[in-house]
Amino acid sequence: MAELVIKEVTKAFNKGTINEKTALDDLSLTLEKGDFVTVIGSNGAGKSSLLNAIAGLWPVDKGRIWLAGQDLTGLPDYQRAALIGRVFQDPMLGTAASMTIEENLALAAKRGMRRGLKKALTYQRRKQMKEELAKLGLGLENRLITPVGLLSGGQRQALTLLMAIYQEPQLLLLDEHTAALDPKTGEVVLKLTKNIVESLKLTTIMVTHNIKDALKIGNRTIMMHEGRIVLDISGPQREQMTTEDILRLFAETSGSQFSNDRMLLVQ
Amino acid sequence: MFINLNLLLGATELGLIYAIMALGVYLTFRTLDFPDLTVDGSFTLGAAVSAVLIAGGHSPWLGLLLAPVAGILAGLATGVLHTRFKITPLLAGILTMTALYSVNLRVMGKANVPLLGLPSIYDTLARSGIPEKYAVLAFGVGCVVLLVFLLYWLFQTELGLALRATGDNETMIKSLGINGNSMKLLGLGLGNGLVALSGAAIAQFQGFADMSMGIGMIIAGLASVIIGEVLLGSRSLLRVLIAVVGGSVVYRVIIAIVLRLGFQATDMKLFTAALVVLALTVPQFRGKQEYDSLRR
Ligand SMILES: Nc1ncnc2c1ncn2[C@@H]1O[C@H](COP(=O)(O)OP(=O)(O)OP(=O)(O)O)[C@@H](O)[C@H]1O
Ligand SMILES: [Mg+2]
Repeated sequence: MAELVIKEVTKAFNKGTINEKTALDDLSLTLEKGDFVTVIGSNGAGKSSLLNAIAGLWPVDKGRIWLAGQDLTGLPDYQRAALIGRVFQDPMLGTAASMTIEENLALAAKRGMRRGLKKALTYQRRKQMKEELAKLGLGLENRLITPVGLLSGGQRQALTLLMAIYQEPQLLLLDEHTAALDPKTGEVVLKLTKNIVESLKLTTIMVTHNIKDALKIGNRTIMMHEGRIVLDISGPQREQMTTEDILRLFAETSGSQFSNDRMLLVQ
Repeated sequence: MFINLNLLLGATELGLIYAIMALGVYLTFRTLDFPDLTVDGSFTLGAAVSAVLIAGGHSPWLGLLLAPVAGILAGLATGVLHTRFKITPLLAGILTMTALYSVNLRVMGKANVPLLGLPSIYDTLARSGIPEKYAVLAFGVGCVVLLVFLLYWLFQTELGLALRATGDNETMIKSLGINGNSMKLLGLGLGNGLVALSGAAIAQFQGFADMSMGIGMIIAGLASVIIGEVLLGSRSLLRVLIAVVGGSVVYRVIIAIVLRLGFQATDMKLFTAALVVLALTVPQFRGKQEYDSLRR
């Protein structure tokens, strides 16, 4: 079986009200181990909902999800976390601001494991943290006891990324994790992401608002619209694709203009 | 002399015993970021359990040990109301507090259980060689040192880290595989266990338990936590725990002095409420995001 199998998943919000909104519409997607998939689409296309459905933020209305041979469908989010690493768009969401860098990492080191009354920070663990932090190249290895709240958005996002992979996950979910950063910092975090995912060969889904990045990074790109996947490209077809092609294809399949407020900002 | 040694000793004794309660309040309000109003009820519950056991001829130490068990159950009740039945923290606490009013009356059988002439933990300490005058102080210091040490240790364990993170960022803890509901139950249980322990020690100190002794306890606890953090800061974990204890002692000293000035004991609730309002509105505090949940 493939690494990640999403089969005919549907999710609607505010069902039965005038605000009813189908975020995921009978969506199916299969990822092989080591796939690095980028996801693009207009605002409200269901990109975040796709990641939330996999992470188990809420139960889906219909369909099933398997990861690494395990049926995730009925599991709550905190149980799925044993297999899944996440980085959110908002740098505030991925770390505990009042706790230090080493405490945040110690929390991440036990992702999905039983937490007991053992000392969370040992000499050995600190040593390992320093080595891992040094790889980020941000000098955080010398600031283990700094409260995370004092870090910049980019630093926090890089730390969240490290936390997400500290215990190697079966699947890494990145939801526009550079969108809230200034372009230069976003670039740095994106490069880090690429290095980490490629060196660990992590199965990854990355939502981005930047079509150029989406085509450049990873080995496969999907485009979403109204809760469905309307384009799924990889291999040579993807290599020849340009941003203009994507915009044209989008207009053809959806009958509307590709519109993403964050995309406009970067072009 | 206006402020004499006896006033200070008395206030310190009270401050240390109430510090146990303040540590419990710190655990729920600050660590867990859960404004838990169970406290008024669980404090009285601890006093009631302890008093009834002593009045029934049991050892005062048994009374001291079983009180926190009852307090833990009270905290868990609030926790279940919140986590399982999705009731807001404030209302969940008020519901348990209200229910506890009846429970406490059932436990005590009447509105007031006098312990006059019955043994207390302080008597047994005095008999074991500690000078009688300092028996309460000895218990207070010993108990508080032990609890501060235990909490400090807990906060640095894997479980303790998860507990602290739950009060900081619920999205994050879930993404790291921590069950936030379990953490809330743990924190509420421990917090109210401490509060009930404090209630038991106070009942034995004053020689009675009565229905109204828990009224306003949550605000007194909050005042202690805030005074401590203003005076001693919250730079490190150990420091903030010590600050809470210090805050409790300072608060009792302030109360003793205010009483000396001629105010009535019944005026103290108004005074304490005003103190908390003042503390939350002074400029140096306004910017503190830790207190966001207490402000709108
Ligand atoms: N928790 C929720 N409650 C109600 N509606 C929701 C919820 N989450 C998503 N939606 C709705 O579902 C639709 C899809 O939202 P989603 O966040 O998945 O879009 P997106 O592709 O991530 O968009 P964006 O580019 O703006 O981030 C939207 O119409 C959104 O309003
Ligand atoms: Mg989104």
